[in-house]
Order: sequence, then structure tokens, then C-alpha cells
Amino acid sequence: MSFFRWKPRLYPIVAILASVFILIFGIVCARMPGFPYFLAGLLVWLTLFGCGRACLRVLPAALIVGGIFSSLAYVSSGRDAASALAMANRFGALFLALVPGMSVEPVAMTRSLSALHTPRAVTLGMLIVMSFLPVLRAEIGRVREAMKTRGAGSPLRPRIFYRAFLIPLVTRLVDISDTLALSIETRGFTLGKAKYTVYKKEWIRISDILFAAGLAAGAVLVVLW
Amino acid sequence: MSDRYTQNERERAIDELIADAQRRETPLPESVEPSGKKKSGIFRRYKIKDVVFLAIITAMTLITGSVMPLLIHIPVFGIIQLGLGLQFSLFPVIGMMKVRKPGALVLMSLFSGVLLVFMFPPMFFCLLICAVLAEALTLAVFRGYDRDAACVLAGTVYMPLTLPFLAVYYRFLYDWSDGANEAVSQLVGARPLTAIPISLTVIALCLCGALLGRLITNELKKAGRLKQ
Repeated sequence: MSFFRWKPRLYPIVAILASVFILIFGIVCARMPGFPYFLAGLLVWLTLFGCGRACLRVLPAALIVGGIFSSLAYVSSGRDAASALAMANRFGALFLALVPGMSVEPVAMTRSLSALHTPRAVTLGMLIVMSFLPVLRAEIGRVREAMKTRGAGSPLRPRIFYRAFLIPLVTRLVDISDTLALSIETRGFTLGKAKYTVYKKEWIRISDILFAAGLAAGAVLVVLW
Repeated sequence: MSDRYTQNERERAIDELIADAQRRETPLPESVEPSGKKKSGIFRRYKIKDVVFLAIITAMTLITGSVMPLLIHIPVFGIIQLGLGLQFSLFPVIGMMKVRKPGALVLMSLFSGVLLVFMFPPMFFCLLICAVLAEALTLAVFRGYDRDAACVLAGTVYMPLTLPFLAVYYRFLYDWSDGANEAVSQLVGARPLTAIPISLTVIALCLCGALLGRLITNELKKAGRLKQ
């Protein structure tokens, strides 16, 4: 019965495929006249399927970066508005392709990959990569702060960048990885062929199929426009 | 009871006990697993700490390479490799020099796939293929990652190998879509004089990154912060 239950959260594999499709379709069909309507419809569609917050997060960046690159395309193409619009479409597709991925929780991705019998080393690595991006970004900030506090000088100078930024950063990476590995091992995680169970299995639902069907219908409409 | 054993027998028994204790305390050589099975020459099993370190290094590579989504829309041959060459050679070399096992580069490429499929899917497939090629080349030349030069070679050729793959992708894409961005086909096809210097610059950039990675790793090893 869970197949028919509405769940405003995309199945991770559907989210990945949707991202790939939006990006490739955006690059290929950016010059089609109906593409801006496709992007607008996609924005609404993603919001309906639980990606509204992620849409709001990418919109400012999409407008700024898309605006800059469209202006550059407009100038470099001899004031051709169609080129500028195509560039704006490409960046719109690029940022909207990020939305399904942003709305997928790392643990949901790991569960769905584990259910598909992906090797545990791969799922563990992917989980760490997805989960540790904010931690490592904060770590870069801390190393920079430490540089400023010590009065290390400009990071644009290679010697200072190497000694005061790169070495402490890599040292911190080693420390973080050692602590994390120890923590994982003490919780009984192994990479061998030991039996394991997947807690809270992720399954594809009717909402995912509806989402994919809507996306495909929109693409067909753009091509037939 | 003590009369049953001579002094010599006692001494021999003590010596045997000490020798046995020493045998137990001596660690197994690198090529032998705790189960007693001999490891193969090149391929060794991954431990959790190896996988975790490679994942952390991959995350750092992706953070520093987050400009990739912006670069993919600039139709200039080799622009992605010029923008990412340094990061995608420095950090993988650190990962390979810490782990020193075949497959480290392929694992890092697989881990990066979880984000690259959202950022630029063709790049994920390119990186995966190029990681396999780079590892095959390194194993053919050095038969393992025991030497620093092997890690540097793999790190240096990893990113430049994506140049032909992405060029084919862009040529197909722009030929198929509308041909508006002909910069790639112009650079690769009609103007090899432009493509060759760009390719050489990418190789030089990746070599610098790989050597820097080796330098950092050796420094950390000397300081005792990096252990295999």
C-alpha cells in the first residue's frame, strides 16, 4: 500500500535521473521557443513535489549568474537576443537540475543504493561525501580565520598559501578522517561480506512516477511547440 | 617434583617459552594477512580508514572544484580542465599516497559521482573512464603504488585524459543542437595550433598539482601525521 501513499519527497534514484535529464535537455534544447515555459512549469512541478525550499535557495544564484552570462552572450554575439535567451535557458536548466539533488537526504540515498545491493564501500564513501561538504567548508573557513589571527599575510602569495593554508587544511582532513574511521569501526561497520539489513527501505512510489511522467510530458510539449 | 627435571631441561624450556612469546609478538609481514593467506602482489583489500580518507579527500576536491557548473557553459576547449586541473591532481595524489592501493583513483571518481551527476553528468562518466585508464597506465608502468612517482603519474594524467572525451561530447552536442557555439570544433578540428598549447598547459598544471600533493604528503609523513 505504501506505493499509493503520497510522499512529497522524491525517490533518490528518480531525483538523480531527473537531474541528468533536466541538464542534458536544457543544454540541447535551450534555443527552442517553448523552453522558458518548460522552465517555469518545472519550477512549479518541483515545488509541488517537495522541492520548494531548494528552489528558493537556487533562484537568487540562478538569476545573478544567468544574468551575467546572458549579458556576456548578448555582447559577444553582436547583440543577438536569441543567444542571450539561450544562455539564460541553459543556466535556468542547470540550477533547476541541482534542485532534485539538493532535496535528497544523504541517508535516503544510501538506503536506496544499499537496497540495490551497491557495494558498501561505495555507499559509505558517497554518504561521507554528501554529508561532509558543510563540515569541510566550515573547516576551510576556520583555517582562513586562523591565518588571519596569526597575521600570516596574503594567501595570494604561494609560499604563505602552502605553509599557512594547505598544510593545516590537509592535517585537519587527516584528523577528521581518522576520527571518523574509528567511530565507524567501533559501531560495528565492516566492509566484508557480512550480512546486513537496511533500516527504513526506500521504495519508488506513485508520486515518483507522476513526477517523472510530468517531466517527460513537459519535454515532449517543448519539442512539439 | 623438582628432582624430575634437570637444570638443563629447565633452561631449555624457559628459552623455548621466551622464543614462543617473541614469535607471537612479532607483527606479520605486510604481504601476509592475519588469516595466514598471502596477499597478492598488486591488489590489496581496502580498510574502512582507506575508504573514509578517500571520501573526505573527494569531498574536498569537489568543494574546491565547485566552479565546474559555471565552466561547462563556456564553449572554449579545455576550460573545465584549466579551471579544475590543479584541484583534481593535488587532492587525488594525497589520497593515493596515503592509501597506496590500486583502485584508489577509481574509488574517488565513483564517490565524486554522487555530486557530479547533479552538477555535470558527462564529467562523471569521463572521470570514471579516465580514472580506469590512468590506473591501468600506472600499474603497467610501475606495477603498484609503492613509489611516489606512480602516484604523481596517475594524478598528472587523470585530468588531461578527459580532454578528448569532453571534446567529443561537446562536438556532438553542439553539432546536434544548433551549431551556435562552434568554438570547440574550431579549436579541436580546424585549429589544432590552439588546442595543443591548451592541452600542454593543462598537463603542466596537473603536474604542478601532483608535485604539490607529493610535497604536502611527504611533509606530513615526516611530521608523523600521515600513516598508512
